[in-house]
Formats: sequence, structure tokens, C-alpha cells
Amino acid sequence: MMPALARLRPLAVPILLGGCSGAQSVLSPMGPDAQRILQLGALMVIGAMAILTIVCIATWIAMRGPGAARARLAGDGAIITGGIAFPVVTLTALLAYGLWVMRANIAPAAPPSRLRVEVSGELWWWRIAYRDGLGNRIAGANEIRIPVGREVAFILTSPDVIHSFWVPALGGKLDMIPGRTNTLRLKADAPGIYRGQCAEYCGGAHARMALEVVAMPEAEFGAWLSRSRDSAPEPADDMARRGRTLFLAAGCGACHAIRGTSIGAIGPDLTDIGARRSIAAASLANSPEHLAAFIADSQHFKPGNRMPPFRIFKPDELSAIAAYLTGLK
Amino acid sequence: MRIRPVWLAYAAIALILAVPVAASLFAWSGLYDVAASRGHWWITDKFLRFGMENSVRARAPDVQPPPLDDHNLIRLGAGHFHSGCAYCHGAPGIAMSPISQHMLPAPPDLKDRVGAWTDQELFWLVKHGLKYAGMPAWPAQQRDDEVWTLVAFLRRLPSLDVAGYRNLALGGLRLDPPTGRELAMQESAADAAGACARCHGAEDRMPASTLVPRLHGQPAEALLAALGAYANGARYSGIMQPIATALTPEARKALADYYAGLCPSIAPASGEAEPVHIERGHRLIMEGDTDTQIPACSGCHGANALPIYPRLAGQSASYIANQLRLWQRGARGHTETDAIMSAIAARLSEDQINEVAAYYAMQPVEAAAASQPVKKAGAP
Repeated sequence: MMPALARLRPLAVPILLGGCSGAQSVLSPMGPDAQRILQLGALMVIGAMAILTIVCIATWIAMRGPGAARARLAGDGAIITGGIAFPVVTLTALLAYGLWVMRANIAPAAPPSRLRVEVSGELWWWRIAYRDGLGNRIAGANEIRIPVGREVAFILTSPDVIHSFWVPALGGKLDMIPGRTNTLRLKADAPGIYRGQCAEYCGGAHARMALEVVAMPEAEFGAWLSRSRDSAPEPADDMARRGRTLFLAAGCGACHAIRGTSIGAIGPDLTDIGARRSIAAASLANSPEHLAAFIADSQHFKPGNRMPPFRIFKPDELSAIAAYLTGLK
Repeated sequence: MRIRPVWLAYAAIALILAVPVAASLFAWSGLYDVAASRGHWWITDKFLRFGMENSVRARAPDVQPPPLDDHNLIRLGAGHFHSGCAYCHGAPGIAMSPISQHMLPAPPDLKDRVGAWTDQELFWLVKHGLKYAGMPAWPAQQRDDEVWTLVAFLRRLPSLDVAGYRNLALGGLRLDPPTGRELAMQESAADAAGACARCHGAEDRMPASTLVPRLHGQPAEALLAALGAYANGARYSGIMQPIATALTPEARKALADYYAGLCPSIAPASGEAEPVHIERGHRLIMEGDTDTQIPACSGCHGANALPIYPRLAGQSASYIANQLRLWQRGARGHTETDAIMSAIAARLSEDQINEVAAYYAMQPVEAAAASQPVKKAGAP
């Protein structure tokens, strides 16, 4: 039995350490909300370790300690102090501290921040819409861009089952519940790419339902947002033009919107798919090969998803569509 | 002497072993005569018939048949009977083949027999065929709807005369009688037995049954793909599979091109559906329904769609609705396009199926399908 476990031991170290840093970790907070959660979490871990140490010492005394100490432990005083007074005081203090630390999250919403990002959890991807305060609604999917240093309100909903929105490096998780609208306010302190994950089991491909939050300097973000109100760019070459013709003739546009080209609203908006780092809800790197493979048989990558396999395309047709989509940035 | 129980046990075991051994010896010896020319003993014949009748009665499904007096069912069933069944069973004006009459048992003249069976029993017989009798099973076991068309025809068969039968089975199709030279030289002299037009119509004639699709002006690529899929069994149909299998790839191509080139000048079906339903069908076709994740039908079935997709304007409502239900049951096939449509059809309600079908049936046929496909646009 030991050899089997011993063989697994080298694996355990990278797996455990992998959680300590990087794009998707509560231990490397990149925003005030995540910072507060880490602070509260650290205090609770340290406190719990201290209490566990005291309990261990008390247990040792109760079994091996000198008679006088054992008698004192067995007395009413010890029970009242350690069993009633201590937990009441400690937990009350913890609650007060917790409320104080997290007061920014609990407080009623400050005047609505100018930028709101609507995120709808769907099976198994994220429908995104930016509300820029000027009445514009800019659709996106699976990749959220936010400005650094500005609080952004995430309006969380779900049309199907319960999902949970969680970007560990930026803040806590909040469920997306059908029929309800939850609001989460997050701020990124530094530019970077922060990975998020659906944190509530939502069906077969739940594990492949991830997203990326790209925090950009304010000026860059503003430029991106104003550019995003335009229609998708025209195909650059013959191959991409052929790809667009196929995209429309094969009916892709009945499910997928490309601003200025198609208006389908069932699957992810593809207006800027070429600019995204990944496809299929952050489960595949964005490349023409992956796009082509996903179109031909998305069920292979995400069993049970809503997109039928399009095996009708020949390889050159898939390449043309992939070229068209890759050019959408 | 006392019989000990253990001896009885031995005797029983010996008997149990002896029966298969004796049967094997009998079969090995060649004593049994399998000749169809010799017929069965009277007792064997009675025994087999008794077993067959009871088996059919016990196994016939307890289901409600579709309206069997519907002309569309009868017409399609007649078309298939003519090419699939009449060779053995004969038909009004068609003598049973002397070859099939020397099968054992000889296929019966059905007009004398169908009265003895209930609708469900006939359905079971047509669908499953009969072991030891040479009666084949329905080639596409998924297509109960096709089997019922034959049952509908069989109910009509006893009252048909020669002209009535020809009218139903050939759809009034008149071909010039072949010349002596043609008869002598052609590989097949079947009089329009395989003619698509019997069921699908051709030139100015529209399909004979609303269960049969209109092929006029459909994209050649869609027609060719359908024939290919029938031929290799990827699309399920007991009626079309034998026909498509008998066609060479060149013949399939020629047929697809022929029908694609026909410009249908049919008046769209007059609406039996209520305007509110038609309007709902129209909206679903043009916009889809985001809440239930149904994409707009027009995305794939409009004038500019890929030529692998059929055009639906002016198609029969019964045909469209039946195909959608086949997808829902997984009974249409497993082609590349079935993979797409079965995912979408599964999200449609029965009402939506009827509304979409009713709207499409009322639309004038777009001539665009016959024009050059858009698929190669952008290619050099």
C-alpha cells in the first residue's frame, strides 16, 4: 500500500503548489475584494491552528498530565470557560471582524458604477454584455475585458441552471440563479489575465466552463470599448471571404451573432472571436485548427453542448471558416 | 425388483441427452428432404401455419393506427407495393411470378388474405416478415410510419380493379409501351416500376402523396446526398433504400440534376391552418426562438443556403412535419445533415412542428434553388 502512495507523492507537490499562484488563485489576490477574502481567510486559518494546538495540549494533559491539572480540566470551570465562554467570545469577535473587513461587499451599492458587465451563465459558456453608461450594449462571450483600477459591477443571471461566477484572483464567488439577478462588484489592481471558473456543478461539461478576465489600463480599455461598438471587420482576403459566405450559407449565423453580419442569439457572439485568447469557454486555445475542429465536432470537446456537429464541411471549407473567424478582431 | 429413484434420474438424463443426439443424427443423415418442390406433409403444414398465426396474433403491437383511409397513405403504400411486393404477391392486372409461385410456401394472393388480420397484425407482418416463409422484414425497422402506408394500401387492395390499381400504384403515369427492340435490348423492361415520377411526380406533375417530398427545383447536391445516404443505409427508409441501392452513382447524379433543373410551377397549398398558427410558424422560421434555443429555419433553408440543405418553401406540410418527428425519434438517419437537424428538431414542440410545416407549405417555391449554388462563391 505504501509504495503506491509513495509513487503518487511527487505528483502531490506540483498539484498543491499550482494552487498558490497564477491566474486562478485565491492566494495571489489582484483586487481589493480578493485581498479582503485572503486577509479574513488567513486570520481564520491562523486562529483555527491556534485553537487546535490548545485542544491538542488539553487532550494530552487530560490523559498524561499531572493530577492537579487533570482535575482542573475536569472541573465545571474549564467546561464553562472553554466550552461556552471561549467559543461565544471568539465567534462573536470573528463575526464582528468579518463584517468589518467585508463591509465594502455588504454595504448597499454605491452609486451605480458607470461600467456594468452583464454575465449570463449558460450550458456551458458565458454570455456577456457590456453596458457603457451611454446606452450602448456590446455583446461578447467567454472573455471579459475590464479597466484596471475601476470598480466594475457584474450583473449575474442564468437562463437554465444554477452556475457560479468565480474569478479567484479578483474576488469571491457568487451564484447565478435562474430567475434572480445577483450583483458582484470587482476591481482589478493591476493589468493581467485572471481566469475564472463556473464554481457550481451545472452538468456534463461543467469543468469546461471557464472564462478569462482581461484587465487593461483605462485608456486601452476605453479605446477597445469604443472600437467594439463598430461592426466586425470585413474579411481581409479571398479565403476569409469564402469563410464568411460559408458561415452564412451553412446557417452558423442563425445561432451566432457577428455584429453587422448575423444576428443569431442562441450561441456565443463571435464578433471579436479572433481577438480572444481561447475558444469554447476558455477550454481550448484559440487557433484556426481548434476552431475548425470545434466546428466539425464540438461534441468531442464538450459533450452534450447545444451545437450540432457540422461534418458537412470539407477540410478546405473548415479552414476558410476558421480563417474568417480568426480575422474577426 | 424395486426401481430405485437414482435409476429414474439416470434414465431421464439419458433421454434428455438422446433427443439432441438423435436430432443431430437425423440432420446429419440427410434423410430430411428440404426440397421446395416436394412440399410439406399435411400435418407439418398445419403445424407451421398454426404456429405462425398464433405468433403474429400474440406479437402484434397494441397501438392505434394512423387513419388508414387517408389517400396519402394509400397512395404511397401502393407505390411501394408495386415495386416491392407485387412481384411475389401479384396485384390486379399483374400475375404472380411463376418463380415466386414455386417458393414454399407460395406467396399468397393478398386480396384473399388481408381480411383475416387486424390492422395491427398486418403491420407486424409487414414490419417483421416471416421466418421460414421467405417474407422479408421491412428494410428500415425505424420507419413504422412507412409500414403503416402499406397497411393502408392492403386494406384497399381487395376492392381494387386493374384500372384502380394502376391509377394508385403508377399515379396515372403513362409511358409509351416499349418497342420490340427496346424490350429485346434493355437490361430492364419493367414498366416504370422504378420511375421516381410514380411517387414524386415530374415535369409538371407534383407528388402523388403529401407524405412524399417535392423534388422539383431542389439543389442537386441535396438530392444526390439523399440518394447516396439511402443507398448506403445512412438514411432510413424501406421504400427509398431499395430504389437508391439499385441506381448506379451515375444514375443518381443524372436524376439529381434532372429534378434540380425542374422549375416547379405549383400553386402553394391553400392554408388549412389558422392564421395565428401560420404567423407563429413564420416568426419561428425567420427569427427562431432564443428562449428554447431554436435557430431560425431560414438560416439554413433560405434561398442562399448551402446546396446540401433542401429548400422548404412549397414543400408539403405533412412531409415536413413527418420528417421533423422522425428526427425527434432518431428514425431519420445518421448522415452529416441528420446530425445537425436532429439536434434542432429535438427542441421543437409538436405545435411548433405543425406551425412551421404549415407556413412553409403555403410559400411559393423559390426559383433560386435551381440557380447556381452559392457554395463555391469566393473560390476561384
